[in-house]
Amino acid sequence: MEDIKTDKEYQKELFDRLKKSISLRKEEECFGVCLNSAIWWLVEQPYPKLSDMMKIISGTCPFLKGPGSVKKSGCVKLLWDIVKKCGRARTLIRFDCVEGLHGFVYPIFQGDKLYGYLGTCYTKKDVSPQVIDIFGAFTDAIVREVQKELELSKLYETIRPRAIALSTVHTVHRLIGSTLDMNELLPRVARLSLQIIRANRCSIKLVDSTKKLLLPKVTIDLREKKSKLKKVRIGNWSPGKAVKFGRPIRDKDHLATPLIDEDVIGVITLYDKVDKNPFTSFDQEIMATLSEQAVIAIKNAQLYKEQEKLTEGIIKSFATIGSTRAKGVYLPRASFLRIATLIGQKMKMSDRELKGIEYAILLHDAGQLVMPDNVLKKPAKLTGREYDLVKEHPVMGAEILKPMKSLKGIIPIILHHHENYDGSGYPKGLKKDQIPLGARIVAVVSAFEAMIARRPYRTARSMNVALAEMKTNSGTQFDPKVVQALLEVVSRQDIKTMLEKERYGGHR
Amino acid sequence: MADTDRTLQSSLHLNIVKFFHENQASIDTPRGVSTWVREERAKVKKALEELVGMKILVAHRSTSTTGYSYTRNAKIISKIEKLLKKRRAA
Repeated sequence: MEDIKTDKEYQKELFDRLKKSISLRKEEECFGVCLNSAIWWLVEQPYPKLSDMMKIISGTCPFLKGPGSVKKSGCVKLLWDIVKKCGRARTLIRFDCVEGLHGFVYPIFQGDKLYGYLGTCYTKKDVSPQVIDIFGAFTDAIVREVQKELELSKLYETIRPRAIALSTVHTVHRLIGSTLDMNELLPRVARLSLQIIRANRCSIKLVDSTKKLLLPKVTIDLREKKSKLKKVRIGNWSPGKAVKFGRPIRDKDHLATPLIDEDVIGVITLYDKVDKNPFTSFDQEIMATLSEQAVIAIKNAQLYKEQEKLTEGIIKSFATIGSTRAKGVYLPRASFLRIATLIGQKMKMSDRELKGIEYAILLHDAGQLVMPDNVLKKPAKLTGREYDLVKEHPVMGAEILKPMKSLKGIIPIILHHHENYDGSGYPKGLKKDQIPLGARIVAVVSAFEAMIARRPYRTARSMNVALAEMKTNSGTQFDPKVVQALLEVVSRQDIKTMLEKERYGGHR
Repeated sequence: MADTDRTLQSSLHLNIVKFFHENQASIDTPRGVSTWVREERAKVKKALEELVGMKILVAHRSTSTTGYSYTRNAKIISKIEKLLKKRRAA
């Protein structure tokens, strides 16, 4: 049935194009002159009925339109017989028309398939065999040309939607592959899924560590309905079943697609299509492709997070070793990491740069690890040579951290955190914007921390005294913008509370 | 909508909107869209951003690229449908 329909459609399109074909019109004009005012007609069926022939011919032939036309129907019958004969013979057939006039019928084939006929009648001149040959070749060429056009347009219609779909898949791949932050990635996957499938709600759940539950990570409902984030037991409901059986679960109003890596790691569930139609197998295929890409992105993000935790752990251990080794090296507490981050935010630093600042705060004195004990732990005033040695600690710190490629970004901060804004610092004597912003922030934060921290060998200064000293040195030792940011940050109540809790600024 | 009507006087804007209206599930980059509408990428990029400003398109921005997709707003889609019909009739 499908084939018949397709064939009929093809035939209709072929004749529509043939009728519009400029080449066919030219052929009619050209042979019209040769044949002297012929009547042209197209039969758009391989095996027409007599009644169809009557409609086609009587609409064009002046003889049939004339008086007594009803009695002239024998003429159409004759033509009908010739059409059938011509189809069987696969060749042009000439015939004698009425009133000493002439005509011929030419069958239109594509391969073995007969599609219809091109014919003339009422021609004043008979057709010579040479003209027949030329006409046949000409008509065949036109039919082939029209067929090619039709094939090309069909190919375009078939390929274009697939190419558009492929391009969409490629774009989605780039969009979800460009973030390593899970908090950004999952909402993005949900939004893209909603867009591609034209659904109203998307929920992404990930398998928990016990592998018994699905934990809700993100739900987006474009109808602005509030959705609860519900845990689902694996095996329950469609999302739970999709995870348990490792295959998509499709129903009229939802589609649950498992996220499969080596194991099932989660599920994307879409609900309610915008056009209210049921989810289709095509939707299922598209979601299978998208979920494959999402799994890679999720695994990358998880791996990145693990690596980041590992780096953070190493840095904290390193900083702790430093603080336990020497009397003069202290590990800044959580409040100072927070202060540094808030200052960085005020200076419009990216999340990555803020992380770098946090690491740099912990590691800025790493170079003191390789200082000789007699210098580092010396209770008395340092000699000039010893002080020169201490001044080398930023360079030493940078050298120690160099092999850790993931800390590449903070090495300039470590190297320059003792530079002064007016150029009087070390090791390079850089000034103003020559000093990396991170280093200017670490300089301010570490100096402020040193002033208000309690040390065994001296009492802590009060917050006001320390801030007054920071202001005094603003523009000479410190970047005024960073000092201003510090003043704003420490005036926040949450920061004051944190500092009090950690017993900074003389608080007991 | 008068603004939309005016914007769609530009054949480039009209072609982009037609593309997304006919392929409502599509998400594509300026490079992809420039292929479908057969126009220079820079011009397409500018037009895409203008259509985002008019809320006809949605921009999905990432560090490496921006994907553009059709609005989900049924009212806007219906207005565009009417506009396109009007254009076809003219």
